[in-house]
Parts: sequence; C-alpha cells; structure tokens
Amino acid sequence: MSKFLTRHQKPVLWTLLVVFIAYGFYFWDSVRTTSILNFTLSYALPLILAAMVGIIGERSGVVNIGIEGQMLFSAFVAFFAAAATGSLIMGAFLGMAAGLLAGAFLGIAAVRWEMDQIIAGVVINIVAAGITSFYYTPGKSLPAIVPRIKIPVLSEIPLLGPVFFNKSVFVYLTLIIVVVLQIMLFTSKWGLRTRAVGEYPSAADTAGINVFRTRIFNVAIAGILAGTAGAYLSLDAAGWFERGFTAGRGFLALAIMIFGAWNPLGAMAAALFFGFASGMASQLQADEVINIPQQFINMLPYVMTLVVLSFSAGKVRPPAAVGQPYKKEG
Amino acid sequence: MIQGEEAKKLHPTLSYLVQKQSLVVPLIAVLVAFLIGSVLIALQGVNPVGAYQTIFNAALGSERGLLRTLEKTTPLILAGLAVAVALRVGLFNIGAQGQLIMGAFFATWAGFTFTNLPALLHVFVGLLAGVIAGGLWAAIAGVLKAYRGVHEVISTIMLNSIAIALLDYLVNHPFKEPGQALPRTVPIFETAQLPKLGFVPVGFLLALLVAMFISWVINRTTAGFQFNTVGANKFAAAYAGIKIKYIVVASMLLSGGLAGLGGAVESLGITYRFEPAFNKGLGFDGITIALLARANPLATIPAAFLVGVLRSGAPSLQFDYGIEPEIVDLLLAITLLLVAAPILGKLIFRKYAKKSETISSGWGS
Amino acid sequence: MRRIRIAAGISILALVLAACSTGADQADDSNCADAEVFCIGLITDTGKVDDKSFNQSAWEGALAAAEELGGVAKYVETVDSKDYANNIAQFTDKSYDAIVTVGFLMAEATVAAAQQYPDVHFIAVDQFQGETLPNVTGLMFPEDQAGYAAGYLAGLMTKTNKLGQVLGLEIAPVQLFAKGFEAGAKASNSAVDVTTVYHPPADNAFANPVWGGQEARKQLDQGADIIFAAGGGTGNGGLIEIAKDPAAGESVFCIGVDMDQWNTVPEAHPCLITSAMKLITPGTTQLLLQVADGSIAGGNFYGQTGIAPYHDFEDVIPDDVKDAVADVVAGLKDGSIQTGVTL
Repeated sequence: MSKFLTRHQKPVLWTLLVVFIAYGFYFWDSVRTTSILNFTLSYALPLILAAMVGIIGERSGVVNIGIEGQMLFSAFVAFFAAAATGSLIMGAFLGMAAGLLAGAFLGIAAVRWEMDQIIAGVVINIVAAGITSFYYTPGKSLPAIVPRIKIPVLSEIPLLGPVFFNKSVFVYLTLIIVVVLQIMLFTSKWGLRTRAVGEYPSAADTAGINVFRTRIFNVAIAGILAGTAGAYLSLDAAGWFERGFTAGRGFLALAIMIFGAWNPLGAMAAALFFGFASGMASQLQADEVINIPQQFINMLPYVMTLVVLSFSAGKVRPPAAVGQPYKKEG
Repeated sequence: MIQGEEAKKLHPTLSYLVQKQSLVVPLIAVLVAFLIGSVLIALQGVNPVGAYQTIFNAALGSERGLLRTLEKTTPLILAGLAVAVALRVGLFNIGAQGQLIMGAFFATWAGFTFTNLPALLHVFVGLLAGVIAGGLWAAIAGVLKAYRGVHEVISTIMLNSIAIALLDYLVNHPFKEPGQALPRTVPIFETAQLPKLGFVPVGFLLALLVAMFISWVINRTTAGFQFNTVGANKFAAAYAGIKIKYIVVASMLLSGGLAGLGGAVESLGITYRFEPAFNKGLGFDGITIALLARANPLATIPAAFLVGVLRSGAPSLQFDYGIEPEIVDLLLAITLLLVAAPILGKLIFRKYAKKSETISSGWGS
Repeated sequence: MRRIRIAAGISILALVLAACSTGADQADDSNCADAEVFCIGLITDTGKVDDKSFNQSAWEGALAAAEELGGVAKYVETVDSKDYANNIAQFTDKSYDAIVTVGFLMAEATVAAAQQYPDVHFIAVDQFQGETLPNVTGLMFPEDQAGYAAGYLAGLMTKTNKLGQVLGLEIAPVQLFAKGFEAGAKASNSAVDVTTVYHPPADNAFANPVWGGQEARKQLDQGADIIFAAGGGTGNGGLIEIAKDPAAGESVFCIGVDMDQWNTVPEAHPCLITSAMKLITPGTTQLLLQVADGSIAGGNFYGQTGIAPYHDFEDVIPDDVKDAVADVVAGLKDGSIQTGVTL
C-alpha cells in the first residue's frame, strides 16, 4: 500500500483533491452535486469501456479505430436479441458475443491478413453503420428494465453512495473491469506479454511470446468490452436502439485513451472529466446563471482537452509498435 | 523487383495483369462487392439486376442524374485528397469534416460579404476563404502535433466538435438570416456562384485539376518527397535533414485547405448559403475514399466517383424497390474490405501477389 | 480449406441476414399518370418514416388518404439535404398528384419544385408560406398551444413545483412547444419552476436517446416530478428513463410530444400521462383528400393541436384537474386564451 502511494503520488493527490472539492460542493448544494455526478458517471460509462478497448488494443500494438462500429453493432444485436428472446441477460450476452466477433475480425484482419489496421477499423465502422440501419426493424421494445442494485452499507455513504453504489450491474462491471485491467496490465504475466508485444514485438518473439496469437486474443477480448458498452447503451442507458446512436463515442474514447496516457485509471479519469463537463454544460443552460450562448458552453470540454493536452502531452508516448503489422524475420 | 523478374516468365497478358495488380484488384473488389450486394438485395425480395440498373440509370442515365452524381463526387474527391495527403506524412486527419464545414462557412461568408466584386474574382475570393479557413483549422492540429506533441487524432476529433459548436453559434447569432426560423445565413451574391457547364459543375473540373496537381506535388516535387519520407520513416527523414515539424504543419495546412476547398465548392456551387444540416458526413466519406484509393491522389477520383454514383442512385433504389439507402454503405464497406485485405490479391495472383503495405505508419508517433 | 471456411462464414452471415430481412414494401405506382389513380409521394427532410413521432405521423396520414381514395402512397427518406430537388423529381417524373414534404428544412426546395411543377400539389408540413402559391399548402401547427395545455396540466399535477423539459435542437417548432409548456405551467401554478434544456447542436440532436435519458435523470434527481420530453429520439430516451423511476406513475410523470406516444413508445407507459400533440396525421389526410376533390387552397393551413388521452392515468388525474385542462383546451381553440408565446 505504501509502495503504491509513493509510486503514484501525483494521481493519488489529484484524486484526493477532486474528492475533497466534490464534498465541498456537496455540502453547499447536495442535490445538484449528486445529480451532476450521476450524469457524469452515466455519460462516462460507455466512454470508459470503449477507452479500455482502445487501451488493450494499442498496448498490444493494434490500433482500434473501429470501436465506434463495434459498439454500434453490439448495441444493435443486444437490443434486438433482448426484444426477440424476451430476456435482457440473453440480449447482453449476445451483444457481448457480437463485440467479440467484431473484435476477432479486427484481430484477424490486422494480424493474420496484415491488413492496414486503420482500414480494418474503418471497415468495421462502415459495415456496422450499414448493417444496423439496413436491418433495423421498428416497433420492438425491451422486455424489462435493467434493475438498480443497491449495495448495502456502501450506498449509505453521502455522495459516493448514490453515485457509485446504487447503480445497474453495468456500472459495477465497468468499475471492476477498469481496476482489474489496471492491475493485470502492470503486474500480471499477461500484462507483461501484452506490453512486450506492443513495444518490442521482435524482442517478445525472441523471448518465446507468440506475437500473432497474443495480439489476436487481446483485440478479440477487448471486443467483448466494446460489446458491453454497446449493450449498456441500448439496454440500460437508452432502453432503446436508434440508428447511429453511438454518435461518435467510439472516436471520443480514442481521445480519452490518449488523454489517459494509455492507462486504464487515467482513461477513466479523463472520461469522467468529459462526463462532468457535459453535465455542467446542460446544468448551466438549465440554471441560466450566466449569459453565454450555449454553444460556447458546449464546446468548453473540447477546448479544455486541447489546452490540457498541449501542456501535458509530449510527456506521454504511445506503445512503440502500435499500427505496424508484425512480420517475422526470414 | 523480383516480382517483375518472375512475372516475365509468364504469358505477356498475365504478366501485364500481375504488374498492374494495384489496378486490377480494386476493380475485381468492386465487382465482388456488387455480387455480394446482389445476394443481399435478392434476400430483400428484389431482383438485383433491376436494382443495379436503377442505381446506374438514376446516377448516370440522365443529365439531371449525371449532374447530381458529379456534384456529389466533387467534395468527395477533395475530402479524399485531404485525408490522403495527411496519410502520406503518416498523419491520420480524422477532422476533415470539421475543416470542410469551416471552409463551407467562410466561403459563404465571403460570398455574401464582399459586394461589387467581378464574378470571376468573387468566386476566387470565396474559394480562397474556404481554403484558408479549412487550412488554418487543420493547422491548429498540425502545430499542436509538431510543437506540443498532441496526437492529431485526438486534436482533430476535438476540433470537429468545436467547429460544429462555433458554426452553430455563428449561424444562430451574428450571421443569422433575419426573419428566418431556420438557423442559416443569407444567400451568397450571384457573382460568387460557381457555374455549371451543362451537366458538368465547374467545381468538378476544379477538383480534377486539384487532384492532378496534388498528385504531381506528391510524386514529382521535393516537397512531396519530403512528405513521403517523413511518412515512411521519421528517423531517416530527420537524419536527411528534413524539418519534420515544418512538414507536419505544412501537410496539415494543405490537408485542411483541401477539405476547406471541398466545403467551399459545395457552398458556392450548390447550396449558395450555409446551413448546419448541409455537408453532413462528407469529411467522413473522405476517409473511406482516401483508404479506397490507398492514399494515391489520382485514385481518389475513381473512388469518389464510385461513392458519388452509389449515393446519387440510392434514393431511386428506395423509390423503386423500397430498399433502404444504407445498402450503399454496405456495398462500400465490402469493397473497402476487399481492396484492403490482401486476400483477394492472394486468391487471384497467388505467389505473384504484392505484399500489403501499411499506409498509416505514423499512428504510433 | 481456408476458402471453404470463408465461404461457409459468408453463407451463414447471409442466412442470418435473410432471417431478419424486412422485405421491400413500396407500392406499385405504374398507373400514376392515369387521372383516376391518385398518387401521393412523401419525402422526409432527413429522418426516417418510422421515427415514432414527426415523420411517422405524416406518413400515416398519407397512407390513410391513399386507402380512402384507393390510391397509392410512396415515400423517400432523404439522406443528403442537397437531394431534395432530385427526390421530389422522382415523384413528379411519374406524374404523382400530390407530394408531401415533411419538415421545415425543405421549405425552399418545396417552393422551387412547386413553381416548376404547377400541376402537382404540395403539402408542406411545418413550412410557413410567406407568399401564397396556388399549389403549395403549408401545414402549420400552433405548437405553443399544445405545449401550453400540457404545461397547464403539469402545473396542476406537480407536487414539487419543479418541472423539467428535455428537448431536441433549439429550433422554432421545439421552442414553441417548450415556451408554450412553460407559459401553461406558470398560468396554472405561479409557484412552478421550469427547467429547460436543449440538446447541444449536433447532427444527432433529435436522435440521441442516451443523452435524453441522462438529462431526464438529472432533472428528476434535482426534484422535477413531471418532465416534458420533446425531441424525436432524444425525447423518447428521456421518456423511457423516466418510466424506469421507481416512483413513475405515482409521483413522477412524463409527457410526450407530436403523436400520442402511448402508441409509439410503449416503454413509457409507466409514466406517460399525456402527449402534447400536433395532429399531423389527420391534418395530412384532410389536406390530401382536399387535393383529390379539388377543394384545396394554397397558403397556410393550421392543423389541430391538443393533448393526448390520459389512458391508464384517467383515474390518477383528479376530475377537477381534467375539467380545468379541458377548459383551457377549449379556450385555446376559441381564442379566449392566448399563450403569449413569441419567438
């Protein structure tokens, strides 16, 4: 624990600062603070999952620009499967399977076929947009709603309780995924191999790691997370499927991944920042406190991202072998 | 060129085909995509032959259709070029959309602001305004990349959203047409309108010239050589004394300028005013086109034409057969997949197939 | 072996796609040039005809008219707003008798086409006609009145004195609904506080149910107990989210828009007390029938607005509230009540 603290001084301090400020606002206006943070989390959730997809891919050396399509396709499958089978669980399961399929496609195309990774991603996006609007059928609805699960004791904590511990299973799943991924990526054997494959594939190969298999496996598994994000969007967040309704979240997630310096926890923080900014934009509009055209409030998170990055970027760098198909020598 | 040596042993026709396979493969890809598409169409209970006839008839069979097809092709060529140029330097300009709408707005602005300009000059000023607006918008991403190390994918995504909000403000407040419920600008003066020659929009001819010019720049000039070198290997480029930062900014400026020109041509040639609903998705189609063309400037012309034909024929397909226009996106996706995946080449040319190359090598840095 | 696997994969995919094939459903219009056959064309201004609100209601109106007249109705969904003229030409080429253009983005294209094709009558939904053309009838609606009636109901029903609005893009018809709602709520309950939030400007402002749901949730969290969701798919997302609230139907309610959304968004049944309707379907049908019998006039035609039946909430809403709202609806109709809404 103390080792963790000394190694991660800055992020820990920042987190404490944010929590401190949040509680400050909470005691000033508990209703607004809680509701804006609720908005923040639900806005950020698909972005967090999608950023994890990007991180796993890039950490193993594969660019995934098709997250948008993977989510859209999974959301489509999840919704219509749930409507057809009458079971949300079945819908979520098949949605994740659809994500796995889309992820496996990217993995095989990028690694086995040595296809340009960006093209492979763009293909996924276009195919997903085409299939989901071409085969969309109106008049279907979900059999039930995704229940909230109240976690005893924890949900009673002021502010943190309602925001984090009285949510649907997707929220808990996402938080677990982020933490597990953070730990796995930097301490487990799988994480070591993944990073080796993404940084120095030839060295990894020499060390006996199967570069091809690791990359395909990782990108496919990441597809399941994209599937989870898609299922969350259609089954929980919207309760409905609308053509093209991922609305650029997959691309935004790439930005968030970079913002978070290819770290799961960092990306989560970045996604929460976006969610918070978006929540504040609508809150300022609702409260009519300041007389700024709403367009300027809406562009604020994007401008801030650019400003923040222009001061902090350059210090982080992507995995070295990202975007390059690995070719065995000889 | 071992491939070339080996190919000489083949029958002359075959060897010709093997050497021209970068041309043959896309053609076959389109054919195969249409075959797969015909299965999908047949599954909808529609005769595929009739469906394709409808598309081509609507897009190419009449002067009106041809005009619309060429009008659609024009901004697609320019957006495709924009993405392709950046790809040459190893930059992935996902923000062509934002640059395009900036160009579209500022061309319109020049079109309704300057009075008493002679027609030719006014058109030129309008186009120039579009190029500058798009170029500067992209150059922000270029500068951030070169001097602050901000990844161009993230910055151009952000700039897309900022452009949408900014233009929405401009058409809702300072430049809103008075007395209109709809947020939009006033129309441009007639002197700023790009004319049509029969069924050929002048903008289309302009786009063709620009594509040829860019092809020349990329393949025959020192600047182009530097672009390609930076794209292929940054370290080698730096070793050779190329100013990488300068090239990054210059290429984004050029890329954004092309996208802005695409928007300008739309505004001055078709819409004659700016409305946020116009120009939807053109920049993203540009990505598809640049990838279909494998970042080859001249190849963006047929790629954009293909997209233009399909998009201009699709409404008739829905009209005649009730097939949703999104079938076009399926066809394009299959084509892109077949062009990009080396499978098709391997199936046809076996051991003579060219190895696939990465065109976007600069992602990681 | 590899190729066999690929082929097998493709054929499985094809089978799956075939299983969910929707099938072509466009009518036969080969006889439209005949004077006896009445043909109706409909063009959307970028949306889909199954959007559960605006476009769908116009399309249902066209279908009803075609059935009544024994004629033909067909639609084209616009993907690119620069295709309006060409999409209209599809219908005029085949000598259609009436063309319905849905949405005010099409205003200019409609007028231009009407001048070009004087023999075709155009029904221009949501497009105000500043100058009267003999063959264009703008189907307009006083959206503020529908919003006012719904807001009046909400003002009487709220316990927290907080109302919310989750809206699509900030454009005229939506603004009229929203301002009408606020005016109505203030008229019935001077203590009421109305939160108004429009979707940020974007291509998907009317198709972002995720944002709609999140914004509705936020307003509920801040104490709003009745929320007016007006904004196509964005609003529908709001309705569905409100329906999920444990208190939905008891102390938390939602109000839909455009159509009676009880029929189009069944997910919202737990909370949907009414919808602020613009009766596009009967308005479209009525005008089309007038085109058929030749009694149609150019200019603007004001369709009906109103609020939808209370359905399952018939017993939840007190009788005196129902009476008061009915009086307001009547007053709006005969002009004794003005909403006072200006843009």
